[in-house]
Amino acid sequence: MSEFPTATALTTETLQHASRQAQALRVELRKAVIGQDQVIDDVLTALIAGGHVLLEGVPGLGKTLLVRALARCFGGDFARIQFTPDLMPSDVTGHAVYDLHTEQFKLRKGPLFTHLLLADEINRAPAKTQAALLEAMQERQVTLEGEALPIGQPFMVLATQNPIEQEGTYPLPEAELDRFMLKVRMDYPDSQQELEMVREVTRSSRADMLDVQPLRTVLQAEDVLQLQQIASELALDEQVLDYAVRLARATRSWPGLTIGAGPRASIALVRGARARALLRGGEFVTPDDIKGCALAVLRHRVRIAPELDIDGLEVDQVLQQLLDQISAPRQ
Amino acid sequence: MRLSDASVVIRPRTSWEAMDLGVLMAQEHRLLLMASWALVSLPIFIALSVLLWQYPSTALFVFWWLKPAFDRLPLYILSKALFGETPSLKQAVRHWPRLLKGQLLASLTWRRLSLSRSFLMPVSQLEGLDGQARQKRLGVLQQHNAGAARWLTTLGVHLEIGLWFGCMALFYLFIPQQVELDWDWQRLALATGPEGLWLEHLSNAFYALVLVFWEPIYVACGFSLYLNRRTVLEAWDLELVFRRLRQRLSSAAPLLLLVIGLMLLPLGRPAMADDSPPTRQVTPQSASQSIKALLDKPPFKNPETVTRYRFADEKPNTKPQARGDGKLPAWLQALLDNFNSDAFKHLAQGLEVLLWSLLAGGVALLAWRYREWLRTFVSRRGPRQPKLAKPTPTQLFGLELGAETLPDDIASAAERLWPNHPREALGLLYRGLLSRLLHDFNLPLKTADTEGQVLERVQRLQQPQLLAFSDELTRHWQNLAYGHRLPPAVVQQQLCNDWRTLFSSGVAR
Repeated sequence: MSEFPTATALTTETLQHASRQAQALRVELRKAVIGQDQVIDDVLTALIAGGHVLLEGVPGLGKTLLVRALARCFGGDFARIQFTPDLMPSDVTGHAVYDLHTEQFKLRKGPLFTHLLLADEINRAPAKTQAALLEAMQERQVTLEGEALPIGQPFMVLATQNPIEQEGTYPLPEAELDRFMLKVRMDYPDSQQELEMVREVTRSSRADMLDVQPLRTVLQAEDVLQLQQIASELALDEQVLDYAVRLARATRSWPGLTIGAGPRASIALVRGARARALLRGGEFVTPDDIKGCALAVLRHRVRIAPELDIDGLEVDQVLQQLLDQISAPRQ
Repeated sequence: MRLSDASVVIRPRTSWEAMDLGVLMAQEHRLLLMASWALVSLPIFIALSVLLWQYPSTALFVFWWLKPAFDRLPLYILSKALFGETPSLKQAVRHWPRLLKGQLLASLTWRRLSLSRSFLMPVSQLEGLDGQARQKRLGVLQQHNAGAARWLTTLGVHLEIGLWFGCMALFYLFIPQQVELDWDWQRLALATGPEGLWLEHLSNAFYALVLVFWEPIYVACGFSLYLNRRTVLEAWDLELVFRRLRQRLSSAAPLLLLVIGLMLLPLGRPAMADDSPPTRQVTPQSASQSIKALLDKPPFKNPETVTRYRFADEKPNTKPQARGDGKLPAWLQALLDNFNSDAFKHLAQGLEVLLWSLLAGGVALLAWRYREWLRTFVSRRGPRQPKLAKPTPTQLFGLELGAETLPDDIASAAERLWPNHPREALGLLYRGLLSRLLHDFNLPLKTADTEGQVLERVQRLQQPQLLAFSDELTRHWQNLAYGHRLPPAVVQQQLCNDWRTLFSSGVAR
């Protein structure tokens, strides 16, 4: 397609360079996390779109591994917080300490001031600690001792959680859930991929973990910012935009859902679609991009009707029905 | 019907005793009853099994439903045999079609599930009553013995099931051990394919055999219950005694009369001499007094003396009793009389209609209220296959897809459009492709399908040429529609040529 002039300011070269970078990152991650290609795509979508990701899955599927691999491939800072029931908000954001030598209070920044934050098992901490992330996630700043401190760009929170029904967990409040751009479900890999994974892991020097050391660094922090910039400038047709908004609006009146998705969902849909378009090497957004990330964007923003819940239906099934009935863009 | 010819001892019995008699009657004529039942029912059973070979359960159900029709034959035989006119097997079976005439529809529809079926069958079959007369008769008959008749049916159901399972277990036990090893019994029982069919038909056959044994007994028991009820109602036993008396006495009557006359003659005279006892005058007053005196004594009245404590100020409750016994106010009495009469019948019927329509309206309202919900979730659980096949969307991505809205030669039309309206030209080609996919390849495309999903479906068709063309065309279409980029002229010619080679020289059907 390179012989056609683009309408936007983006040149084809920069675009192709960007999508090559993104795809290289994807290839690296696939080396580390085997059998979760869909999840890797979703995490990269969030990274390019500048959103946060909530990873859900039963223990042992490589949630933490994925984030560690991402941190390894990405040259920026990486911090991790293991959420425990006694974790305090100040442990996350930081606090002021009295320095005996200078006789002054000194701000000690918490682990939040980083590029890539892994909030491991986020639902093991009570709501007050979870809430410490709210301001950072939305406004990319932390207020400590009355002083608003900006967090470096890019900033991405990757939270992992086990499914709610497990013992000793605190469900995330809706406001917090809404701030995650995507909620990604990790499922068991298929048999062939699991076979391969077991072969790789047992070859590694560490007992039961896949070694992420051999992965090479593909991106620097500035590269990520540039990727985000490019993605946000991708061409988007009015019809596609309308499709995204119609999807989000449909969840509000859908009979199977008691709570629909807010405007953040429409925004996340469009940003996610742009990122996906970049990731697949496209120069504009198609309805397929919207539909591809719709499940991950919507599933944690809606609440399924109780009668369907009793019937044993999952949110994903209801959303899939919705996607099957909202007509694609009309051109 | 001559009661004196009856082959059973007619006397009032308890209901269970009567059923016992029924069993004995069935035992007496067991060969005739079972053979005739088998001759009538088994051919029909076989015909049903052959006709409904794929649906063994339905065949069994229909056979079971037809039971009242078969039941008429044993009843006919029993009623004849009761008075010693036992028909031969041939006669009985030949007579069966004639038995089916009266009220067959009723007995196979709304009377089919009656629990006292065998007890009431004689009313319509032997007495030939119908309509109001039958209702009256049933009202009288069912005052007693109806409970026993219901129990008879209930027991019969259990006996049938027990014998049925017994037969199957017996069959299983007869399988030699070596063969049995190869049988996965559970798999056979749960199998839905043709291998499970014969097993189901076998169990159906066992049921038919069980009926050959049990059904005549059931009919006989019901019949004897009916006989017993009529014996009690119409005092057949007394009638029989009188008849026997008359028979015995008819020969000896003249002699007896002479003897009585002779005996009365000498005794008459002294009786006429002393007429002291009949002199007592019987007046209406004295008669009524003596009646009253008689009524005051047991067993008409049993006065009791009750001794108990009571409060001093407690008044003997004569007054309230008097009021209770006393007349109701006239208006209330009139009202109650009105209630008892038929005056409110229409009102009641109106109320009934009103209540039923309220119920129906409520159901309709509920369905309307939850129509969205029902449309979304109820249809999902139903069979989806036919639904998917039917509605082919006439529009996809806002494009008209009906075959009649497209020009005959799409490629030429696109070529003509291209210089001035490239967008319409490409749209026409894409529309043509979707229409072909929808109508020629029967792809289940929906309005919610995006271009990518359409491509996925095309991939599943496994036609590399079609896939390559669809891929190319979709790419250019997306570029134009969402990327606002025109394809070059080379592509235009290539697409049109590809279209022609792919869809048989470009001329539509």
